[in-house]
Amino acid sequence: MKIPTAMDDSSVSHHNGGQVGSQIGVSVNNKQNEESSQSVQYSIPGVLHFIQHEWARFELERSQWEVDRAEFEARIAFLQGERKGQENLKNDLVRRIKMLEYALKQERAKFHKLKYGVELQQGDMRPPPEEPPQEPEPAERAQWKQGRQLIKQYLQEIGYTDTILDVRSNKVRTLLGLNNEDQGEETSYRNCEKQQHYSMNTALSRKMYDYGAKDQRKTGVSQGSGYSDEGLSVQETAAVFANFEFLANQEMDMDEIDDVEAKQMHHAAGKQGEEVDHEADEVLNELNLLTASEADGGGQGDEYAVGVKYPTGTAAVTGEADEKPLALGELAQLTVSNESEGYDVASASKESFRKTWNAKYTLRSHFDGVRALAFHPTEAALVTASEDHTLKLWNLQRTVPAKKSAGLDVEPLYTFRAHSAPVLCLAMGAPRSEECFSGGLDGTIRVWNLPPATADPYDPYDPSVQGPVLREHTDAVWSLASAQGRLLSASADGTARLWAPRTPRPLLCTLRDELSAAATPAAADFADAATRAAVVYRDGNLLLYDLETGQSVLRVSCDSPANRVRSHPTLPLLVTAHEDRHIRFWDAVSGRCAHAMVAHLDAVTGLALDPNGLFLLSGSHDCSVRLWNLDTKTCVQEITAHRKKFDESILDVAFHPLRPYIASAGADGLAKVFV
Amino acid sequence: MADVILKLKRNRPGSKAKDFCRWPDEPFEEMDSTLAVQQFIQQTIRRDPANLEAILKMPEAQDEGVWKYEHLRQFCMELNGLAVRLQSECNPETCPQMTATEQWIFLCAAHKTPKECPAIDYTRHTLDGAACLLNSNKYFPSRVSIKESSVAKLGSVCRRVYRIFSHAYFHHRAIFDAFEKETHLCKRFTDFVTKYSIISKDILILPKLDDEPPITQPVGESEA
Repeated sequence: MKIPTAMDDSSVSHHNGGQVGSQIGVSVNNKQNEESSQSVQYSIPGVLHFIQHEWARFELERSQWEVDRAEFEARIAFLQGERKGQENLKNDLVRRIKMLEYALKQERAKFHKLKYGVELQQGDMRPPPEEPPQEPEPAERAQWKQGRQLIKQYLQEIGYTDTILDVRSNKVRTLLGLNNEDQGEETSYRNCEKQQHYSMNTALSRKMYDYGAKDQRKTGVSQGSGYSDEGLSVQETAAVFANFEFLANQEMDMDEIDDVEAKQMHHAAGKQGEEVDHEADEVLNELNLLTASEADGGGQGDEYAVGVKYPTGTAAVTGEADEKPLALGELAQLTVSNESEGYDVASASKESFRKTWNAKYTLRSHFDGVRALAFHPTEAALVTASEDHTLKLWNLQRTVPAKKSAGLDVEPLYTFRAHSAPVLCLAMGAPRSEECFSGGLDGTIRVWNLPPATADPYDPYDPSVQGPVLREHTDAVWSLASAQGRLLSASADGTARLWAPRTPRPLLCTLRDELSAAATPAAADFADAATRAAVVYRDGNLLLYDLETGQSVLRVSCDSPANRVRSHPTLPLLVTAHEDRHIRFWDAVSGRCAHAMVAHLDAVTGLALDPNGLFLLSGSHDCSVRLWNLDTKTCVQEITAHRKKFDESILDVAFHPLRPYIASAGADGLAKVFV
Repeated sequence: MADVILKLKRNRPGSKAKDFCRWPDEPFEEMDSTLAVQQFIQQTIRRDPANLEAILKMPEAQDEGVWKYEHLRQFCMELNGLAVRLQSECNPETCPQMTATEQWIFLCAAHKTPKECPAIDYTRHTLDGAACLLNSNKYFPSRVSIKESSVAKLGSVCRRVYRIFSHAYFHHRAIFDAFEKETHLCKRFTDFVTKYSIISKDILILPKLDDEPPITQPVGESEA
């Protein structure tokens, strides 16, 4: 870049100099002309001035050349550094491949063990000389991490920045004539690369091998990724695995690869070398990606969505290289597929192609039926409320692996004791996430300060866990909802009440059905951005109250006793669960019944809407949980989850507000979480 | 419609507290649920918590291990009520150690190395630990049949649980008496462990509760 400009500058200045010189020459040589009178006009100061001027100009040029020189020197140093960096990267890459192979072998052995339950097979599978690597592995990994860190530092020092990567990838693309086709794609490609590069920082400190059960989801992924042409089909995945196997067999040939690459560098001068290096970067980045996505379960999955495009690029780049680098390209594909799995999980609740839910955690610690449960607004934690008078806090990330492969057992993190009767309902604080509320048969509503997720169940008792107690209700409190720091309760004393739980005078408003004094509310929920309250009564009536005035603004009559009401997060829609096995949908503006359906074989007890308002979850005394597509009102999945106690079975269901978890609570004293 | 609903043994949202679980008794033979024993025990207690004989009378052809297990679950569950009351009065200042009489200081077994927890922590940890053990998928995977080796686990739970009663009795007598008057839980527990010889008699340090009128006991003596 700099060269032409520098050349221009110098030539221009030479030209100028020449002109000036010739002028002098002219003026000196043509003295005899009549214009010689002009030469007489030369004065000593004038000449001195001219010489001074010239000298300054030359001096300026000289310094310019100096600068250019320094620039070129810097560039040489940079290129040398780059070369070294590439060599290191290459070495590192080879090491990674070896590690991956090893991981795959381990994984295969594990899979075998799980599938056939025979450990002997493992021995057969694995050639004996491969046993030793198992021991030095952790040390090797640490060493490897250190090495990576060093390389990275070095790269940063020599200015191996994202920009350069961009320029280079651009160059490669130009070389391959890809620019014409993929102009539009390029930006995302670049962004992607940047992100991946960025991810190196985080990825490095994370664990490399943890494939556990990833493979099972593979099919889901290939359907899942929207890029049908670029996404991996199952067969391709299989092919990649086959290739991988091939690589494994060629372990000894690793050095050969190095040689080949080195030869290429010589052979095709800069071009080829840059390609190989670029490709190496890609693979490297993707390896990082793999570790990143595995470590945080696809937390940043969305950002990497474009990563699926990689295979095309890589394949194209490697197309000209010979066979072994091609294998590397396939390796890249493999990692990409893993990465997009992370994506799949992260965005699960948003995707309509959601896989089926499977029971993962069983929460057993309650002595009697679990009446209510609520997820933590952000964490993988939930609170359950039971007829055994207690509430329990569970952290899903602290599990005890169960013996059967069916699921994981979770032990409660904390037991909340203060109710003197069964706890019937529960609400998580919103927006304050560190509190929750419970209502009981004893008529009290209690505010709890949640202990931290790191608490030990056997810590000393801390009385500050108990917050204020709201005692205005004179009978069992059956329903709680929380929004914008306010709490809505429905009680068998015939009232629904609005609270500001932590203020000196917490009771804000009492909602009563004026037309029927005997009506007892069964459930309540906030509606219309928490400006209204929907209260459903035992006799089936549904009333909508304005929370400013405390007056009912809408009244809908229905014959069947109702158990639960939920308002849609975005639409003016109310959903009610009924004793007559129906779920009914109501227009919250007109009060019209938008839809009614027989949803279960027995009374419907629990309702939950997913945070985006696309799915409805219902639980029933028929022991099943059903997932409904709200758009089509069709049942997407049915899960049989709990046993009966007397004539009760499932008492509550819930969606996690952010994460892909659903849960059910049963009269059998268990709560179950599905992923 | 109303009749149908009444016949169902179900607590519908909006039920009054007095109507909670108020349905006609169901004979044990007709209970077909896997939770039949729990249902039966709770039903008998609800009918009359003072009728200990009826509560502890095991139905014929019932597996004794399950019977004992379900009773112990019920004890631990109801003991939450006593723990709630103790929380208001018993704290590390008043009771820095878990004691009943002066003879023993009980160490809390919930920790890796048994610890000298304050009484309220001992109570909570014991109940939490019991909840974990009795709900453990490893030892009690089924509610209808229990391994003999798991039944043996019940003894240690009973011993620790009994200490909660004895601590309350000797240090928080008013709470103990009020709770006992309502639930007859300690009496029931003593009868239970005696009947099935789960813990030896010399550990049962509380005086026979029938023989003394409650509350009239001077408080000073209980703290002696």
